[in-house]
Amino acid sequence: MMRPSGRPAPSATGRASQAVLLSALLVAALLAGPVSAWAQERPTPRGDALPVREITLENGMRFLVLPQRAVPTVAFVTQYSVGGVNEHPGNTGIAHLLEHLLFKGTSTIGTRAPEAELDWFRRIDLLYDSLLAARVDEVDPARTREMEARLRALEDSARTLVVPNEFDEIFTRNGARGLNAATTNESTLYYVELPANRAQLWFVLEAARMSDPVFREFYAERDVVLEERLTRVETSPGGLLYETHLAAAYQAHPYGQPVIGWRSDLETHRREDVAEYYRRYYGPKNAVVAIVGDVDPERVEEWIHRDFGPLPPGERPPPVLIEEPRQRGERRVEVRFDAEPAVLIGWHTVDVFHEDAPALVMLSALLSGGRTARLYRELVVEKRLATFVGVTLGPGERYPRLFTIQAYPRSPHTTAEVEEAVYAEIARLIEEGPDAAELERVRNQLEAGAVRRLETNFGLALQLAGSASLFGDWRTTFLLEERMAAVTAADIQRVARVYLTSENRTVATLVTTRPEAVEP
Amino acid sequence: MSRGASRALSVALAAACLACVAPGTVRAQEPEAANAPADSHAAALGLTFEPLKFQPPQPAEHTLSNGVHVLQLEDRRLPLVSVYARFRGGFANFPRVYYAAATGLPGLVRGGGTLSLPPDSVEARLEHYAIRTSVGTGGETSFALMNALTRHLDIGLELFGAMLRSPRFDSARVEVWRGQELESVRRRMDDPGRLAFSEFNRLLFGDHPIGWEMEPADLEPEDLAHDRLEWLHRRVFCPDNLMLGVTGDVSWQEIEPLLERLVEGWEPCAEPLVRSPRPEIRTEPGVFVIPRPLEQSTVVMAHVADVRQGDTPDFFASRIGTSILGGGGLSSRLMARLRTERGYAYSTSALWTAPVSYPGLVGAITRTRADRTVAAARLMLETLEEMTEAPPTSDEVERTVDEVVNGFVFNFESPAQIVSRQMAYRAQRMPADWLERYLAGIQEVQPEDVQRVFREHVHPERMVILVVGNPERLDEPLSALGPVTVLHVPEPTAAQAER
Repeated sequence: MMRPSGRPAPSATGRASQAVLLSALLVAALLAGPVSAWAQERPTPRGDALPVREITLENGMRFLVLPQRAVPTVAFVTQYSVGGVNEHPGNTGIAHLLEHLLFKGTSTIGTRAPEAELDWFRRIDLLYDSLLAARVDEVDPARTREMEARLRALEDSARTLVVPNEFDEIFTRNGARGLNAATTNESTLYYVELPANRAQLWFVLEAARMSDPVFREFYAERDVVLEERLTRVETSPGGLLYETHLAAAYQAHPYGQPVIGWRSDLETHRREDVAEYYRRYYGPKNAVVAIVGDVDPERVEEWIHRDFGPLPPGERPPPVLIEEPRQRGERRVEVRFDAEPAVLIGWHTVDVFHEDAPALVMLSALLSGGRTARLYRELVVEKRLATFVGVTLGPGERYPRLFTIQAYPRSPHTTAEVEEAVYAEIARLIEEGPDAAELERVRNQLEAGAVRRLETNFGLALQLAGSASLFGDWRTTFLLEERMAAVTAADIQRVARVYLTSENRTVATLVTTRPEAVEP
Repeated sequence: MSRGASRALSVALAAACLACVAPGTVRAQEPEAANAPADSHAAALGLTFEPLKFQPPQPAEHTLSNGVHVLQLEDRRLPLVSVYARFRGGFANFPRVYYAAATGLPGLVRGGGTLSLPPDSVEARLEHYAIRTSVGTGGETSFALMNALTRHLDIGLELFGAMLRSPRFDSARVEVWRGQELESVRRRMDDPGRLAFSEFNRLLFGDHPIGWEMEPADLEPEDLAHDRLEWLHRRVFCPDNLMLGVTGDVSWQEIEPLLERLVEGWEPCAEPLVRSPRPEIRTEPGVFVIPRPLEQSTVVMAHVADVRQGDTPDFFASRIGTSILGGGGLSSRLMARLRTERGYAYSTSALWTAPVSYPGLVGAITRTRADRTVAAARLMLETLEEMTEAPPTSDEVERTVDEVVNGFVFNFESPAQIVSRQMAYRAQRMPADWLERYLAGIQEVQPEDVQRVFREHVHPERMVILVVGNPERLDEPLSALGPVTVLHVPEPTAAQAER
């Protein structure tokens, strides 16, 4: 079992363990490689043997440092173990909103007058609270409109003290690439790449942002997130269907909530609540950083201690104890929209630590992993019922997740025909089991995939931080391929039979409202 | 970085060390009198950095016995090899009647089987050996890529060669592709962004390959007849059009015989390609709307601007200006105005295309809530206008230059990037040192140059503005921006699409 142990990362603070050093030598030999004939067999490089130096500060913050010398650039990924699952009705979208707000600067970056700014915030926030109260009391809409206009005017006044986007600008003019962030159901990631000679800049800026963020331009940024929601969900048929499907599949667990947040929650977030949420859960104790690139680990370690060592630890979010009750019958939901039909079929399965998880990943690869995969062959090539069919496991990893098949029917075929064909294929797989050749194809691709994952600094940094965050050990995701390679045909049949049942599934269909598209 | 330091860099470029970036602090600035928890501003801006020492690897050049050029860059870090094939020719080199076949050609070369193996066998082998291949087109160019573990390189190249040289165009796969394309036509209204861009191109480029949009009428079975695909294949996927690239865990001595085998006996192209005609781009301004029942509008605005890519002050000034106006990241003017200050948009950017052989477009794009559409469009026009009225600040110019200069090393992050860039330069007859010339050129740009090039080429009153959205829900009638034309994008009926 791979449940996170909760114990601190294995190596002693600031020192690479003996084991890590030995692996370092091994990998250096592998990666440097003799100039040999290409056909000569060489051992495949192993991700879990990479010379990662682990550093854990007293405040609990974990760092994974992997020197990669080929090109003088360095990738940084900061992962906080806080995301959509830590939210509840009323404050959904808070982690994602914070993802935006953390680009607003600090008490000295992004401002001309930090003290005066705080005064404006107080006035703005007071007015905002009155506005919220007015909305609840349903007073004259003209009055709330007037208050909204005043709020905007106050934010405009506060803006005269702002140096806009200065945090971004300092990174950018130093040649940073890919400065961005992402929020998932279980974590929030902040990332950037820098030219190696400017690596030190990250330590100064990230430590400042972590300990001293200022959420200026709060209400305008909330509007930006509402625009993002319009683009990703409300005007996107695929986004709407996805959100509706999750909400139907999960009745209790927060996996059913959108990470971007429900609209009404976004419209009511208050600066103070968001800041308080930040102060609690975005401290060193809840953060893992991966640094991959052309860096000197000694200097990096020095900067880590200097810039992050003094920060207060913060706390971990309360554990998510809520469990999704067992589903006792098929659920069906529809989204009516001016778009062509689509269908999502999701079955409740297990979390990523469960012993059935590798077999479910193998099952997804057999069904939709490539052009020989069963659903593609049957639905797209043979029967031509669909133009696309794919499988995903999600929306997260840490809690029991869905095995979801998504398909677009090919006109004049319907989502019902697609569903029927999908169920028939699953029944056939349960009945006959996968053949040896198709299993071997999937295993060979896993092996090659493990090599391809070592190609970029940024990809490696994402994986190290993700693995350490989820499993407590950066090596674990590198070992998942081995667990999957050990899966047998019988395992795959078994998990398909156990999980992919009719009473355990939720089906969401996009039903078109287009008159022209109605079938004759 | 100061201008002086930047200049020093452009001189240093003459030397071999192309990516050695001059030392310097981020920028000279008065120390702040802040007394916050820690003065991160002063700390960040007070850092000084050593120069970056880096010698970018250069690809080796080779020529195969049939005259095909190969660029090769060895990289032994991982047991992987990539082979790139770049062909002149794509759908834009052929008349409209070939549009469907020429658009489908790359996908059917990839997935339609080979003369010796049916599609299923090709796919099974590729997946068994975990070989990745893809074939695509960019209008007047077609690309193919093969990536394999070193130990499967020979089988990978054999399959890749068979695919490119002797595709089967299996009739069932052609029919699958035709059905998918018809479905894609049916679904084009579903994504407002995609709809806006394709219709904008049609509006400006009309009956030119850039303006073409697939219609059910292009997709009759006879449009994808086997002999038509073969006819096109003999004109695109042939050695006279071909350039190869190789990166990864292989030396030239090791790969040369495999590449010779790949091209051995390959028939020359049936005839030279005809270049696509010069587009006649619409110059008349106007406001257009495609009505869609959506709560967010997509706004695209642009007009013709004739600055060509090349080693000229105007070109470099246009690049710096476009970046200041609406480049990537949060710091551009459009982002600052529309997103940061007003909260009107999640994304907005400027565009200024500068093709080599015909004029480009300058303009801006965004998506915004329906009831802010006209306000957002006005703000975009004003922001464009300001670029013509006053030069940007020297800080804006420096910041933009610094971003490119300090981040120059990111142009050399992977051998794949280095080799495919050099292949593109050669194919477009650009100098091999174009990137270095670009780096030098932008460092000469002064704020006044940016204003001059905007004043000369950017005219907000000449914009063609397209809105995809709900005219009933806007903050003001679109006519506030000019006379409005409603576009009725043909929505194919089920019967049409299934023809």
